[in-house]
Amino acid sequence: MFGELIRQKSFGVSLAVFLVLLLAPSFLPRFYIYLLAVIFVTALLAMSLNLCVGHGMLFQFHHGVFYGVGAYTAGLLLAKTSIPWWMAFVAGPLAAAFAGLLIGLFCIRLNKLYFGMLQISLGSLIWAIAFRWYGLTGGDDGIHGIPIPDFIASTTGSYYFVLIVLGICLFLMYLILKSPFGSTLQAIRDNPERCAAVGIHVRHHQLKTIVIATFFGGVAGVLFVVVEGSIFPDLLFWVLSLEIFIMCLLGGWFTFAGPILGAAIIVSLRTFVGTYTEYWTLILGVILILLIFFLPEGIMGYNYRQLFRSRTKYAHDSQME
Amino acid sequence: MLRVEDLHKSFDDFKAVNGAHLTVESGQLVAVIGPNGAGKTTLFNLITGQLQPGRGRILLNDEDISKLPPHVICRKGIARSFQIANVFPRLSVFRNVQVSVLSQQKLSNKLFRPASQIAVEETGRILESVGLVDKKMDLAGSLSHGDKRILEIAIALGNEPELLILDEPTAGMSPDETATTMALIQRLAADQGLTILFCEHDMEVVFGTAQSIMVMQQGGTIVQGDPQTVRHNTEVQEAYLGDE
Amino acid sequence: MEGGQTITLAALSITLLVGLSRAMILFIVTSGLSFVLGVLRVPNVAHGSLYMIGAFAAYSISALFGSGSVGFWLALIFAPLVVALISLIAERSLFCHLYEREHLMLLLFTFALMLILGDLTKIVWGADYRSIMPPSLLQGFVTIFDSPFPKYNLFLLIIGPLVAIGLWLFSTKTKMGKIARAAAVDMEMVGAIGINVSWVFAFAFVLGCLLAGLGGALVSPTISVTLGMDHDIIIEAFLIVTIGGLGNMWGALVGSLIFGITQSFGVLLWPQFAIVFPYLAVVIILTLKPTGLLKSVW
Repeated sequence: MFGELIRQKSFGVSLAVFLVLLLAPSFLPRFYIYLLAVIFVTALLAMSLNLCVGHGMLFQFHHGVFYGVGAYTAGLLLAKTSIPWWMAFVAGPLAAAFAGLLIGLFCIRLNKLYFGMLQISLGSLIWAIAFRWYGLTGGDDGIHGIPIPDFIASTTGSYYFVLIVLGICLFLMYLILKSPFGSTLQAIRDNPERCAAVGIHVRHHQLKTIVIATFFGGVAGVLFVVVEGSIFPDLLFWVLSLEIFIMCLLGGWFTFAGPILGAAIIVSLRTFVGTYTEYWTLILGVILILLIFFLPEGIMGYNYRQLFRSRTKYAHDSQME
Repeated sequence: MLRVEDLHKSFDDFKAVNGAHLTVESGQLVAVIGPNGAGKTTLFNLITGQLQPGRGRILLNDEDISKLPPHVICRKGIARSFQIANVFPRLSVFRNVQVSVLSQQKLSNKLFRPASQIAVEETGRILESVGLVDKKMDLAGSLSHGDKRILEIAIALGNEPELLILDEPTAGMSPDETATTMALIQRLAADQGLTILFCEHDMEVVFGTAQSIMVMQQGGTIVQGDPQTVRHNTEVQEAYLGDE
Repeated sequence: MEGGQTITLAALSITLLVGLSRAMILFIVTSGLSFVLGVLRVPNVAHGSLYMIGAFAAYSISALFGSGSVGFWLALIFAPLVVALISLIAERSLFCHLYEREHLMLLLFTFALMLILGDLTKIVWGADYRSIMPPSLLQGFVTIFDSPFPKYNLFLLIIGPLVAIGLWLFSTKTKMGKIARAAAVDMEMVGAIGINVSWVFAFAFVLGCLLAGLGGALVSPTISVTLGMDHDIIIEAFLIVTIGGLGNMWGALVGSLIFGITQSFGVLLWPQFAIVFPYLAVVIILTLKPTGLLKSVW
C-alpha cells in the first residue's frame, strides 16, 4: 500500500525536508528550534482544521476549542494526577475527539455558515468553563510548569518529539485523504446533494470527519503542552480559531500542505511583529481583508476559471493518487 | 416494481404535485411527459427522497419508501440523474463514478487503504459502457455539457440500480448528442436489464423509445399507458399535444 | 447552588424581572443581527464589536456633556448613530464590493472587521473599565414584591417592546421595510423589479448595526464597559438567532426571552457558572427542534 506513495516526487521532497529538520538542532540557535517546534504544533493544528474546511467544506470556525481540550486534558492529567505520561498524552486527543463529536452532533444539522455560527457559540461554553473554573483549571492564569517527561523536556527533546509526531500525523492524514473515505468526503464537498443520491449518509460522513479532525487537533494540543509546559484559556479562544482558519486560507485550502505554509507564515509574523506592537489582532484583520480582496485564488485555492486554465495540471495531480 | 399512488406536494400555496399516479413494471422504459411546471421534476424528487410528500404513497416492490431520506432510497435500488448537470466538479471523471461504486460496495468509510486500488475494475467497466474511458482523468468540471450529462448517468450506474431515474437526460443537448444519449439509454436498458424512468420534452424521443408514457398536467396524472393509447387519448390531445 | 439561602417567591419574581430586562437588551442587539442575517444571509460577526463601540461611544458622549442626565439622553441618541456611521463607512468602502462573491467571503470580512474594530476600540478607549450613571430620573430603585428593583431596568422593560413594535411597524408598514422583507425571501425578484440591491443590502446592514449600537448604549449604565464585551454578546446573539429561527424577528424575541431568563435564574442558582444555564436551554431546544423554534427565512 505504500508503494505508490514512495514513487511520488513529492515524497522525495518531503523526505529531504524531514532530514534537514532532523539535523536542524545542530546548526540553529535554540530560539529558532523553539520557534520551529511552535510552527510544527500550529501546522498540525491547521492541517487538522483543513480536513474539515478544505477537504470537507465544513466551516469549522471554532477548531481551537478542540486544541484546547486536548491541551487541558493532557496538561491537567500531568499536573494533577500521577498517571503515566503516555496515558495523559493519549487522553488528550481522545477527549478532543469526544468534544468534537458532542458539538458536531448539534452543529451538523445546520448548513454551512450557520454550522460555523453555532459552533462558535457552543465552543465558547468550553472556553468559559476553562476560564471560570479556578479550582480545576487555574482560570485566567492557567497552569504553568506542567511536569513533562525528562526525555522530551529539553528544547531539543521536545523539538524531536513534535517533529516525529507531526510526521506520523501528516502521513496518516495523507492516507485518509487518499482513501475511499477521503474521496467520498471531497465528493461531499463538491456536491452534497448528489452524494446523498448515490447512497452516502452525508451528515454521518461529515460527523466522522469532524471527529477525526478534532482528534488530530487534540494531538496538536498535547504537543503544545510538551513545547510550552503550560495551559491557559487563550488556547480555546476564538481569535486563535480564526487565526488557524486564516492559515488554511492563506496557504491554500484545497491543497494538502497549504496549511503548513500558512502556519509557518502566520506564526513567524506573530512572533516577530508581536515584539513591536500589541495590536496583533488588528494586523490579523488587515491580513484577512487583503486575502479576501487581493488573493481570491490563494483564498479559494481553487476557482473555476483557474480550473479550466490549468486543467491538465490538476488532472495530472489527481492521477498521481 | 414502482407504484406511486395519489401523491401530493405543495410549497406554501403552490400545489406542485397534486394527485400523481405512476406504475413502473420491471424491465420497462417509462417516460413522464407534461408541459413545463407540470411537476415532473418534483415528482422525481419525491420518489428519490429529496423532497417529502405531503400525502400519498410511493411503493418500491410493495414497500412504502415515501418517508425515507435519499441515501436510504438509493440503497434500496433507485439511482437517478438530475436535470441540471450534477457532478463533482473538482474530482476526476474516474473519481466521480468511483465514489458511487464505493458507496454501493459499502466501502466509503475505509480509512487507510488508497482509493486508487479499490473498485478500479468496476468503475472502469462503467466508464467503458458509457464511453467516457478516454476522459477518465479529466476533471468533471471541465467536461462539455453533453459529457457531464453522460457522466451523471455513469455515476447513477455505479449504484447498480434496479430502477434508474433520469430527469431530462437530453436537456440542452444538440440533436446529435440527443440521439447518442437515447441510444445509450436504450442499450443500457437492453444489455443490463435496467428499468428506466425518465422525463423528456422531445415528443419524438419519447414516443420513439418509451414502452409506457405517463402524462402530467398541473401536478396531476392525466393518463398512463403505451404510446398508442396515450397518442389517442382525447384528454391528452386537448391538454398537451394540442398546443404543440 | 450552595449559599444556603431559601429562595423566596419574591426573589424569583425579581429574578424573572431582571431576566426580562436583560432579554430586552439581548433582543435589541439580536434583532439587528437577525435583520442582517435575513437580508444578506450572513451572520455579521462584527455585530458584537459594534455593540461594544456603542457602549464606549455612549460613555464618551455622556462624559462630553458632564456625565449628567442630558449627556445620557444625548448618548442614547448619538451613540447608535456613531455606530451606524462606522458601519456605513465599512459597508460602502469595502463590504459592498463582496456582494457578488461567495457567502464565505462576506462572513470572513465580518470576521476581519471584528478583529480590526476590537483593536481600534483598544487604541481609542484603552483597556480600562468605564461606567456610566443613568440619568437622575432613572436612578435608584422601586419596590416590587417587597424587593428593590432598579428603575433603569424598568426603563429597559419599556423600551424593549417599543423597539419591537417599531421594527414590526417598519417592516410591515413602510416601503423600505417591505423591500427588505421581500429581499430576505427572494433577492432576485427584488433586483428584477428595478431596485438597487446593493443599497438594500447597505440599508439593512446599517440598520442592523444601528440596533447593535443602541443595545450597547442602553446596556452601558448596567455593566462596566470594557473590552471583551463584544465577544460575550456575539456568542449569545448567535445562540439566540439559532434557537429562535434564523433571520426571524419574532424568533429573536423569543430566543432573547429564553436566554435572558435562564441566565438570570442561573445567576440566582449557581453564580459562578450561570453561563451554563442558557446553554442548557439551547441544547434542549436544538435537540427537540434542530432548526429553531420559529420558521427561519431560509
